[in-house]
Amino acid sequence: MANVLDLRRRIRSVKNTRQITKAMKMVSAAKLRRAQERALQARPYAQMLTSVLESLVRRTDLYNGQTGEIVHPLLVEREEKNVLLLVIAGDKGFAGGFNSNIGKAAQKFFLERAAQGQNIDLEPIGKKAIGFYKKRFPAANYEKTEEHYDNDLSTHYETIRHRGAQIEVAAEHLDLLLRTEFGAVSKVANDIIARYTRAEIDSVYLVYNEFKSVIAQRVVVEKLLPIRKLGTHEITAAEEMTEEQKEAAARSAASEGISVFEPEETVMEQEAKKFGTADVDYIFDTPPEQIFEHLMPRYITTQIFHALLESVAAEHAARMTATDAATKNAGDLIDSLSLTMNRVRQAAITKEIIEIVSGAAAL
Amino acid sequence: MAETTQNTDNNITTGGSGHLQVRLVTPDRVLLDATADAVELPAVGGYLEALYGAAPLLAELGAGEVRLHGGTSNEKKFFVAWGFVEVLPDRITILAETAIIPSEIDKAEAQEEINAGQKMWQEAGDNALQYDQANDLTRQGEEKLASAEGRSL
Repeated sequence: MANVLDLRRRIRSVKNTRQITKAMKMVSAAKLRRAQERALQARPYAQMLTSVLESLVRRTDLYNGQTGEIVHPLLVEREEKNVLLLVIAGDKGFAGGFNSNIGKAAQKFFLERAAQGQNIDLEPIGKKAIGFYKKRFPAANYEKTEEHYDNDLSTHYETIRHRGAQIEVAAEHLDLLLRTEFGAVSKVANDIIARYTRAEIDSVYLVYNEFKSVIAQRVVVEKLLPIRKLGTHEITAAEEMTEEQKEAAARSAASEGISVFEPEETVMEQEAKKFGTADVDYIFDTPPEQIFEHLMPRYITTQIFHALLESVAAEHAARMTATDAATKNAGDLIDSLSLTMNRVRQAAITKEIIEIVSGAAAL
Repeated sequence: MAETTQNTDNNITTGGSGHLQVRLVTPDRVLLDATADAVELPAVGGYLEALYGAAPLLAELGAGEVRLHGGTSNEKKFFVAWGFVEVLPDRITILAETAIIPSEIDKAEAQEEINAGQKMWQEAGDNALQYDQANDLTRQGEEKLASAEGRSL
């Protein structure tokens, strides 16, 4: 049996660990609060963009007279031969099953698609996902060609994709999660839109952790392109939280005073729904077709931006829950170690007394 | 809450003591929620100014300054790179991808944008879309610089 000194050392070490996990939990809770606030504040813009797009579709002639379809490259549906999957995971570990759940959902999706003979492009966001996929799949090979003609007066540039494997990593984005700026997300979105427009990819999906509140989260696969209906999230697969996870999340949220309910719609959000939809004849200072064309890429950007904000909130929530559980486990361990230590100490004392007593009796 | 325009009959009362409710919304948050008597807007086709009671209008905004006058707006100015505006008789809502207070503009960054735009233009080859993007970027940088130096149109 271990001696008292060893046990005391272990208890001290576990106590230190508990201090660390406790601090991590508090930090995560603070970050979660901030992330939730950010996601909430970003809602009016997204809502307004959607409202005005819907309104434009309704009131203007964006349809092709012969086929009755809206003329826009992002609405074109093709047979899905090349599929792009954006995987949004976290930058750091220590967040319970957060990263692995996303990894599992992504894996399930792209292996299924690959089995159907479709080509898969992966585009991981966040250190964890990048590290994972880079080791397993080759990077996509792009070649930039230059063609000079008219005596070098004119140059034609083209990007050609050489596909070497069925599953490739098309691009990776490292710095999107830390600060999540719209401008940076916009670059990513425009790059994806360019690839979609030149038919390098036929559809775009997004795997991320949706976050409504601490207890209303799920890992979803969402279809981003082609757009079928504006203002809706087309979820193709979803992994809900288990009751156990919900309980653990609710417990840790309660200890930090974070509400488990979804924040209510603000006045601004309600007004955002009416943006560009008033029952009047608008004067169009810019032709509606042009407005529509320029709004569409922003709509895609907003969708990705939104997913990123939710994912960041979810990551902090997952870390908060995980570190809360760790703190609790450390407490349990300290209790059981203290008990053992007391027993060992008592046993030693008892032994000594017996020795003294039996020594005295032998005299 | 002095008055509300009645939406049931489309009678738009012009003039009077009404103030415009102006909102400036960016992807990050609602940046401004104030009242004003007049708002100057950098539409893509040129600046336009909206007063209380203006006819409903939708317009795309290019790079330039949104300027508010009167009301509680405190004569605020914002540099807007790209945006979209809805003008209603009593309300103006501006969606802007970036909105910066002119005094907070990073001039070096603006100069970089001009340079990047020019470089993009040089390399556009026969890609018409890229020429447009290059021109947009250059103009954005130029407008930003102008706004920072207080010589915006």
